[in-house]
Amino acid sequence: MSSPSRQMILELGDVGFSYSRKDAFVTRLSFSVGEGEFIGLLGANGSGKSTILKLCCGILRPSEGLLSLWDKPLATYRNKDRAKLISYLPQTLDMNVPFTVKELVSMGLYPYDILPEMTADEALDLVGLSEKADSHITELSGGEKRRTFIAMTLLQGAGLILLDEPLANLDIRYQIELVRLLRRLRDKRNISVVMALHDINIALRFEKVMLIKDGKVFGMGSPAEVLTEGAIRETFGIGVKIMRQPDGKAYITYEEECDD
Amino acid sequence: MTPRITILTLIFFLAVGASLFIGPTNIDPFSLDETSREILFSIRAPRVIVAVLMGMALGSSGAVLQGILRNPLADPYILGISSGASLTAALGIISGISFLGTFTIPVLAFSGAIATGSLVGMLGWQRRGLWPERLLLAGVGLSFLCSALLMLLMSVSRDEGLRRATLWIFGDLSMSEWPRVPYGMAFVFGGMIVAGLRARALNALMLGDEFAHSLGFTPHRERVLLFVAVGLMTAASVSLGGMIGFIGLLVPHMARFFVGSDSRFLMPASALGGGALLCVADLIGRSILPPMELPSGVVTAIIGAPYFLFLLRRKNVLAV
Repeated sequence: MSSPSRQMILELGDVGFSYSRKDAFVTRLSFSVGEGEFIGLLGANGSGKSTILKLCCGILRPSEGLLSLWDKPLATYRNKDRAKLISYLPQTLDMNVPFTVKELVSMGLYPYDILPEMTADEALDLVGLSEKADSHITELSGGEKRRTFIAMTLLQGAGLILLDEPLANLDIRYQIELVRLLRRLRDKRNISVVMALHDINIALRFEKVMLIKDGKVFGMGSPAEVLTEGAIRETFGIGVKIMRQPDGKAYITYEEECDD
Repeated sequence: MTPRITILTLIFFLAVGASLFIGPTNIDPFSLDETSREILFSIRAPRVIVAVLMGMALGSSGAVLQGILRNPLADPYILGISSGASLTAALGIISGISFLGTFTIPVLAFSGAIATGSLVGMLGWQRRGLWPERLLLAGVGLSFLCSALLMLLMSVSRDEGLRRATLWIFGDLSMSEWPRVPYGMAFVFGGMIVAGLRARALNALMLGDEFAHSLGFTPHRERVLLFVAVGLMTAASVSLGGMIGFIGLLVPHMARFFVGSDSRFLMPASALGGGALLCVADLIGRSILPPMELPSGVVTAIIGAPYFLFLLRRKNVLAV
């Protein structure tokens, strides 16, 4: 759990949202993200993870409730000012424009009139892609592409980064490398990260997770508190066992026969 | 980047120079007599300036449209703007009306272009936004309708009007004259300035609406601005000299080889390339079989179509 003294960056109070007039998709959603927090967002397909991330960055507007960024309603920010505080990385990087890596990363500076101290080269260095600066983005592997966009986000300099399933399509090495990279950056720059993900084994190593069911927060806290066998059965509809390694670290395994 | 833009600028001025001084009558710029001065200033210069304006408008519109529609095959004519312009222009030419003198046909074409452009914009508008797929489909649909009406009109008309209308539709620069230049300049440069000021937004839009939003832009508002800029440039271009095929499609792809995909460079490069190509096409069109003139649209299409097919064979090119 976050310490009470932690400065809150993003706060949602009873937020509601619906895609159609009939059904509410998100109802009475309340949670907050503190400075330097690293949160994993979990839930079954269609539970509302992407919708929640899009609400948090202002792509979608809540139909009710309060959504504030640094104690000010998100909707009152000018677009450029908001972009300096919060950045969002969509799940699909459907990229067929042959921008070079450096061109793309430099777009992170678009919200700025007076350039910040960090340069595109430094951002590329942070994600280990300095040598690819002049390559075309269309020629990169999935992992490199993902890291290029992360570099753009870092250059954008936002204190809160929202990532929608950044681990999708990455092999296990890149998945772990990306989580480590984001964690290092959090430690170094005290940014907050909210990341939607599907791999419960990776989420078990997070400091904090949020489990979503039907557009509501089912549980939020440390993985040990939230990701219990019962909660996973309830939210994903599948029976699993949480095991412990000799060093005490938890991992998940599924039951051969699911209960009906 | 700078050397490449410099090379492109040099090519551009070479093309302009060549079209000014070469033709059925070659002109020596260092010894101008009365006749050659007359040809240069009264015939060639307005014609070359109109060709440059049209080529620039089409080239930069193509670069913008391929970006906002996120489609490498988009060109300014895909939005139906040119078909609408052709329909009203042909109507004017065939019926022989002349309420504004030599300005009648350009004004009719411009009105047709703006009317179809607005209709496409309205059809592409849904849920408080301008959607690329809807724009594209509305453009293609309206384009077919206008072409069908144009065919109908032409199939029931005879005589000289029909020949002139056909020539106009394929791009006819022979009617270029000075009075058209200022108004062409106003729309073409106006559109290019608006598009140029929004070049960063266009780059962001090419990554997708969610990225554009995350980078601090309002995607739908940017698309509307760019769409209006493209609409005005295309309308001005079509009304100046008819339909010139392939520049809007071909030149942005060529420019991309030179300066890459960043719209801040791609747009000016496409404008320079478009201007240069149309000058050269017009030069070829009027020099190859004098005194007959081949419509510039035919020449650009004859150069453009094989190049386009060649592009199709290449792997990495079909990317906007």
